[in-house]
Amino acid sequence: MKIVHYVNQFFAGIGGEDSAGTGPELRDGATGPGRKLASLLGDEHEIVATAICGDDYAASHAEFAAELVAQARERGAEMIVAGPAFTSGRYGMACARIAAAASEAGLHGLASMHPENPGLGEAAGTAVVESGETARQMKDSLERFAAAALKMAAGEELTAQDGRIGPVARTNRLAEKSAAERAVALVLTRLGGDRDATEIPLPDFDSVTPAAPIADAAEAVFALVTEGGFVLAGNPDRLESARATKWVRYSLDGLDAAETGKFESVHGGFSTQWANADPNRILPLDIAREMEQEGKIGRLHGEVLATTGNGTTVADARRFGMEWAADLRQQNIQAAILTAT
Amino acid sequence: MNAETGLTRVVHEVRQLDLGERTSYQAGSLTVGEDSVKDLLRDPALAEVGLACADPGDSVRIVGALDAIQPCSKGPGGGGVFPGLLGPAMPAGRGETHVLRGAAVLAAGYLPRAQEAVIDMSGPAAPLSPLSATHNLVVEWTPADDAAWEDVEAALRRGLVKVAAHLAEAALDAEPDAVEELPEPNGSTESDRPRVGVILNLQTQGKFKDVFVYGRSLSGGLPTVISPNELDDGTVVSGQYGHPALKNPTYLHQTHPVVAALRANDELELAALVLCPEPVNQADKELVSAHAARLCTGLNLDAAIVTKEGGGNADADVSLKLDRLEEEGITAVGILAEMAGRDGTGPPLVVPPTKATALISTGNYDERMTLPAVDRALGRDRIALLDQPSTDEIELPVAAIYCAQSTLGWGRLTCAEIA
Repeated sequence: MKIVHYVNQFFAGIGGEDSAGTGPELRDGATGPGRKLASLLGDEHEIVATAICGDDYAASHAEFAAELVAQARERGAEMIVAGPAFTSGRYGMACARIAAAASEAGLHGLASMHPENPGLGEAAGTAVVESGETARQMKDSLERFAAAALKMAAGEELTAQDGRIGPVARTNRLAEKSAAERAVALVLTRLGGDRDATEIPLPDFDSVTPAAPIADAAEAVFALVTEGGFVLAGNPDRLESARATKWVRYSLDGLDAAETGKFESVHGGFSTQWANADPNRILPLDIAREMEQEGKIGRLHGEVLATTGNGTTVADARRFGMEWAADLRQQNIQAAILTAT
Repeated sequence: MNAETGLTRVVHEVRQLDLGERTSYQAGSLTVGEDSVKDLLRDPALAEVGLACADPGDSVRIVGALDAIQPCSKGPGGGGVFPGLLGPAMPAGRGETHVLRGAAVLAAGYLPRAQEAVIDMSGPAAPLSPLSATHNLVVEWTPADDAAWEDVEAALRRGLVKVAAHLAEAALDAEPDAVEELPEPNGSTESDRPRVGVILNLQTQGKFKDVFVYGRSLSGGLPTVISPNELDDGTVVSGQYGHPALKNPTYLHQTHPVVAALRANDELELAALVLCPEPVNQADKELVSAHAARLCTGLNLDAAIVTKEGGGNADADVSLKLDRLEEEGITAVGILAEMAGRDGTGPPLVVPPTKATALISTGNYDERMTLPAVDRALGRDRIALLDQPSTDEIELPVAAIYCAQSTLGWGRLTCAEIA
């Protein structure tokens, strides 16, 4: 079987964080960890090319995955394997997305990452196998990855025994009894001494280590970002007022303040009357410009990134966060002020 | 039971609903006097009012459903029900109350901040909504020119309770289908049955997202204890129009399914109802939750069931209370909806509890369903969310189906892993 292997800029040998903005490309043959992977896959399979993209580029240009999958198909690939991404969030998200894009295009798609990688949620049902935490566990991780790829190439389903990880889908159905009756029954079960009975397993949330404080605000570039449903008047991009699945960006160049009538809020979770009367109260552009002029902050970034935080799923919110971070890093922003509503 | 303080519920079943010249009730058939009902809805904020019927099984879609109310009456003139809104603001829940079971009056149309709620009277969404199973008098309206939306909302809220009382008044002299005695919890701990409280979180997020107790918002206040029987008399009236699937309309407060399930259970004693605001900032959420748990200790509760209204923000109000109750040594069960994304693989809760893990699921908010085209639509001609005519085949998240996931527990929707 012809296989294309995906790695980020680091494992392709292009560079570290300073090269994270590298765009997508396909190179002939196996590269980096792909060489060892190719030997583990044996003679029946061939890594015909390595797909590469910088982590920041991939996180801020979701279309990279479809582009690379299309190029892989031109090379005759029947399978795309991505990773191992270990615990690296943006790399994990890219691996999950390209594996998912491969599946969507009718190819075999497989990714490898640590179970706590925040990118895992992007796999959309495509198979992901467990890797170690860091590249120090590269050897074991590649062995498991190759074994899973061989099984997948043979047309078999991957299970937890193969190291398959990832969120398990929960689907709606009608219970025999109403929620109220089940709650009363659960009270009796709990009073009877069963301390584990529940219908919803508790989710695990990752904790994020805050970035180090900026040394000198007067030298730093600040971005304003918001989940306040902040849009251009008339909402030309149709940002959702609830359950947002996307975010928008608007230029702030040449604006001294968020003018009334130019911007508005479409947030469905609070009365937008005062936000629309003065959009600076959602996005404090007026104050930020003053601080910029007084030299209290170095410079204000020329774009606002905005979404709506109202009934938004944790998975989508996490994705927005990773995409925003990548987008801002690519433009050398040192600080972001996120106004929440 | 204590005969002096309990409530006698006189039940009249409604099996047929029609519009007519005069309001009357006879042997399961309710006729709505169009002129008298329109008179009751008359208000400077409303230019015009229309009435329509929607019955279970009809090929009808109600779009923009707002509040729904079960008709009830304590006697001619409507005194005693919906205290603080229809009559004086005084505690209710005692004496005798006539209810029209199987009927509801509801408003449907546009209000700001009201996320479009859909009720299908037949088809795949019908088993999900309590208001698909009732004979509904649907109130539509045109706002008066220059009327403030707050005034339109207040006019509808006042008008609906008047109509609800008016309709039930027609059955005061009719032979009842059932007479139900509802004892009032009296604080006695002599029973050997475990004492269970119901903690009812009420959304308090300002205009169009508020719930009224004796006609007042609980916003800014602390939890309070009332008799569960007060719910039957309409002490709690909803003015909250967000989160359609998670909405708790007045109808569900009047017929509170957890209260009903505890009343029907022989092994447990319904001991108290605790009303709590859902503040919007964390410190107030923590205060309200700790205070509610202390109240439950004072009420000698062995267990409590906690419900909410709203989306992810309100998860915190449930989770904090579950944790504080468990710290007080009170067994706590929460009812929550899951918000796990379209494919059901995301984290199900926005703010999970840390100590108490006993949770009942009312299903995944984000899963989508397809509803077939219908013959007739009420409320709104187009579904703005989809930019489609209301009568079309539509694909919607469960989140848009009215009360489909109400944590007051009417529905049977739940969620489980794919086998």
